[in-house]
Amino acid sequence: MDEEPERAKRWEGGYERTWEVLKEDESGSLKATVEDILFQAKRKRVFESHGQVRLGMMRHLYVVIDSSRTMEDQDLKPNRLTSTLKLMEFFVEEYFDQNPISQVMFLLFEINTFFYICFDAGNPKKHVAALKKAVGSTCLGEPSLYNALNIAMQTLKHMPGHTSREILIIFSSLTTCDPANIYELIKTLKELKIRVSVIGLSAEVRVCTILTRETGGSYNVILDESHFKELLMLHVKPPPASSSSECSLIRMGFPQHIIASVSDQDAKPSFSMSLYTLYCMRTRRGLRLFALCLTLVSAPHLARSFHHLFPLDAFQESPLEEHTGDRFCQACQGELKDKSVFTCPACSSVFCTECDLFIHDTLHCCPACIHTQGAS
Amino acid sequence: MKLNIEGLLVYFPYDYIYPEQYSYMLELKRTLDAKGHGVLEMPSGTGKTISLLSLIVAYQKAYPLEVTKLIYCSRTVPEIEKVVEELRKLMEFYTKETGEKNNFLALALSSRKNLCIHPEVSSLRFGKEVDGKCHSLTASYIRAQHHSNPSQPVCRFYEEFDAVGRQVPIPSGIYNLDDLKDFGRKKGWCPYYLARYSILHANIVVYSYHYLLDPKIADLVSKELAKKSVVVFDEAHNIDNVCIDSMSVNITRRTLDRCQTNVDTLQNTIQRIKETDAAKLREEYRRLVEGLKEANVARETDIYLSNPVLPDEVLQEAIPGSIRTAEHFVGFLKRFLEYLKARLRIHHVVQESSPQFLKDIYEKVCIDRKPLRFCAERLRSLLRTLEIADIADFSPITLISHFATLVSTYSKGFTIIIEPFEDKTPTIANPVLHFSCMDPSIAIKPVFERFQSVVITSGTLSPLDIYPRILDFRPVTMASFTMTLARTCLCPLIVGRGNDQVAMSSKFETREDFAVIRNYGNLLLEMSAIVPDGIVAFFTSYVYMENIVASWYEQGILENIQRNKLIFIETPDAAETSMALEKYQEACENGRGAILLSVARGKVSEGIDFVHHFGRAVIMFGVPYVYTQSRILKARLEYLRDQFQIRENDFLTFDAMRHAAQCVGRAIRGKTDYGLMIFADKRYARADKRGKLPRWIQEHISDGSLNLTIDETVQLSKHFLRQMAQPFRREDQLGLSLLTLEQLQSEEMLEKISQIAQQA
Repeated sequence: MDEEPERAKRWEGGYERTWEVLKEDESGSLKATVEDILFQAKRKRVFESHGQVRLGMMRHLYVVIDSSRTMEDQDLKPNRLTSTLKLMEFFVEEYFDQNPISQVMFLLFEINTFFYICFDAGNPKKHVAALKKAVGSTCLGEPSLYNALNIAMQTLKHMPGHTSREILIIFSSLTTCDPANIYELIKTLKELKIRVSVIGLSAEVRVCTILTRETGGSYNVILDESHFKELLMLHVKPPPASSSSECSLIRMGFPQHIIASVSDQDAKPSFSMSLYTLYCMRTRRGLRLFALCLTLVSAPHLARSFHHLFPLDAFQESPLEEHTGDRFCQACQGELKDKSVFTCPACSSVFCTECDLFIHDTLHCCPACIHTQGAS
Repeated sequence: MKLNIEGLLVYFPYDYIYPEQYSYMLELKRTLDAKGHGVLEMPSGTGKTISLLSLIVAYQKAYPLEVTKLIYCSRTVPEIEKVVEELRKLMEFYTKETGEKNNFLALALSSRKNLCIHPEVSSLRFGKEVDGKCHSLTASYIRAQHHSNPSQPVCRFYEEFDAVGRQVPIPSGIYNLDDLKDFGRKKGWCPYYLARYSILHANIVVYSYHYLLDPKIADLVSKELAKKSVVVFDEAHNIDNVCIDSMSVNITRRTLDRCQTNVDTLQNTIQRIKETDAAKLREEYRRLVEGLKEANVARETDIYLSNPVLPDEVLQEAIPGSIRTAEHFVGFLKRFLEYLKARLRIHHVVQESSPQFLKDIYEKVCIDRKPLRFCAERLRSLLRTLEIADIADFSPITLISHFATLVSTYSKGFTIIIEPFEDKTPTIANPVLHFSCMDPSIAIKPVFERFQSVVITSGTLSPLDIYPRILDFRPVTMASFTMTLARTCLCPLIVGRGNDQVAMSSKFETREDFAVIRNYGNLLLEMSAIVPDGIVAFFTSYVYMENIVASWYEQGILENIQRNKLIFIETPDAAETSMALEKYQEACENGRGAILLSVARGKVSEGIDFVHHFGRAVIMFGVPYVYTQSRILKARLEYLRDQFQIRENDFLTFDAMRHAAQCVGRAIRGKTDYGLMIFADKRYARADKRGKLPRWIQEHISDGSLNLTIDETVQLSKHFLRQMAQPFRREDQLGLSLLTLEQLQSEEMLEKISQIAQQA
């Protein structure tokens, strides 16, 4: 978090033992450990190789954010709520980048008040704007996990069976005030195949452990802000679909904008075509955007989801000293300076840490491999 | 896996082993080899029980003539059941590995209440009632009457067992209490008597301490156990108090009143019998003249557990003439009772030794020492002769007779204190006569003398050297084991100050201090906000807890705490406490979170485990010193100083620290568990207190966590809890705190293991 609007004063924050993380090396210098920490931060990323599994790529994700008293806590700067919402903005962008055919909803909750930040939409810009607006909201009272799950469930229940229905809870409090037995609800969620994941901001709470275990989600507790971000990023990737979920071929439309004066004689539009009218190839009719008869996607969207099916293999990490080849990164042509170098198992080109991250996070294909393919 | 422990093949029923278990078995083997006694401390949750069982069973199989029996003493019924389950696992593993059928007989023994299958008797609620009812159906004269008069009810299970069960030994196998009941139902035999009979030839017996330590019961149950047995006392950190309790007697005015009724009943019965069946009384008289030959014959072979209440020389003599006839004995009892009543009619505290008491009783009512000694034996004989079925009603008079026998038998190690009122309520007259044992070695001595190996083990036995001193025995091994951890899952913190820098302490001078109480409240409030699920807080006493909680209520601290977690309180009432405990666990389970306020030395601190989310933090408010103004304690301290050269302060601190360790140890019940241990008193930081904590806690107290303020504590705890919430898999433990067979055999690991045990 670089720009923090009302940064809390140092003395307002808690007592921290920052020196405990640092350890001296043999010569008594701290430099090695500091570099090590930085390097670890760069490198920390989980390669979860799913192998060949079905992925739930059409996702309906419900993000539920705790807004109880504890969100005012200042252990994340400036406070937990602001920090969370800011990370959420980032998350939304990444989410739609990786899952263009999915949807997300945001909900702030506390014991009996719910506040939709942004209702179901596939438009990241709207989300970001809404999240920005929510930053100022005050956090009061106790949270109720039961109520939150219930509301999310009511909505997700109606989503088609072939999609991946997920709830992600950002849970800051350590207590929940429930009106009924939460274990009943967990059972219902399990039956509905709704996956619930929780990111805890304080500590491990038993009921969350059970909730996530039963519904097949993940439960993580943050260590600090960067860890929080990492954990959020884990939820960007589509999860493997449960084997019991419905399997069906989905009809999809690839819409084309057509001009009103199109000279198609078969088509007899019953209304005047406007800018927001799409032409349906199946029914041979022009349609308003809000009354679609089938799911619409664009080809690039599908293509962008496609890479999840064939993820790029993790590059092999080896210490720099052992590396014998040339001292330059294949991608950026910069000198290899970090402790380790990364080798592509297919074309055995070497990359630096930064390029390795970029390739895996954004490109999803090895530039060297493509280069050789193109050349041949 | 199969282990080689210094040449002994040990079958261990799990694929992985903790390094400390291996080390523990080494020490145990050395103890058995030396045929001596041992004191072993190993943290709870590291598999003490299975290590003990696998090694001793292996030893029994390898040297069947050296060790014939394992007697495993535990404290509560659930613990006994747990031991049997572990044993079952071990035996299944044996059968799987060796392929031969298991020829071991292992069984659990408990009271009639837990074993009875008689439809009417087993439905009774209290143990005493069950015992009494059982006795009224199975006593020898009742059964004799049944022969002549079939309408007299008897227990058909016992009859069946008596007719057939003794000839046919119970098939080998592992029996827990339910298995015994099932077996009993199938055969129509009484499981209780079957178990009692079968322990004589069983290879492993699992039962409660009392069957060995309480002279009254030990005499009945454990008399004939073979000398070549290994006795294990598990969870033995309180063994000295168990010994003392089993030998002490408290007499109130109410007891005496009920005694009076007993004596009247006795007199009436005697009168009636005299009119109808005088021959019976004459027969008894004849028997008594012959002396206690019966008991003497049994003792000749010297393999029996000697009854400490009745020393050898007593048995040589016949019952003195003055109490031989039934009327004389009742008259004697009456006089004795009147004397006790007179003694209780006092207005100041009296403390005297046994000889003083005997002298006084001789002067006042002319009761000699000798008849007093035979009082218990004589009463038993009388009750048998009079065919009184319901023994339960006669418990007060039995108590008095025990007192008489004890006071006249032992001149040392006991003290008599008569208090006219309780300390708390000096205006209400409630006289009590405490006949208090001060020397735990009296009760346990026969055990040490008789069995070749006695092992005392627990999670908290530090400092180790004090136990051999107060129990008066010489161990061959004394060792303390640490817990090897892949991650530091316990976090002991010593909080000495509030945020306002006022020292926190429960010591007497600052006990009422407003600032201290407020700081304690703040600590709990802060912790309730950051610790998930359950917190257990221990106070030093009920009175102290009441004061503090009342004060917190006035200051509004309780209200604030309740926003974070629900509050439950332990009370002296058992039913209330178990209700509170149940609700506490429910609140932890469904995420509301809860705090249990309880008391060190209470029921919760001794027997309840708070695994995982049931206890993420334990807060110990103050140092749980025992109430030092009590006269019994003072007498005991004096005795310890004179006899064993243990200074008062040393013993008090030792006692306080073992209870503190017990309390905080409740939270960690295994290596995957984690918990905060917060010692909220600045006195814990001192070396003399800290040094008496078990080694496995001590080694995690760094200098940085000694005299913390509340907010420092909060920060450290937050960090710790987040660290611990990170995923922890079995692979992380492998090779560090969990070993496969190959890892165990590596040189490097053996080197490490040898450092785990620290000889005291």
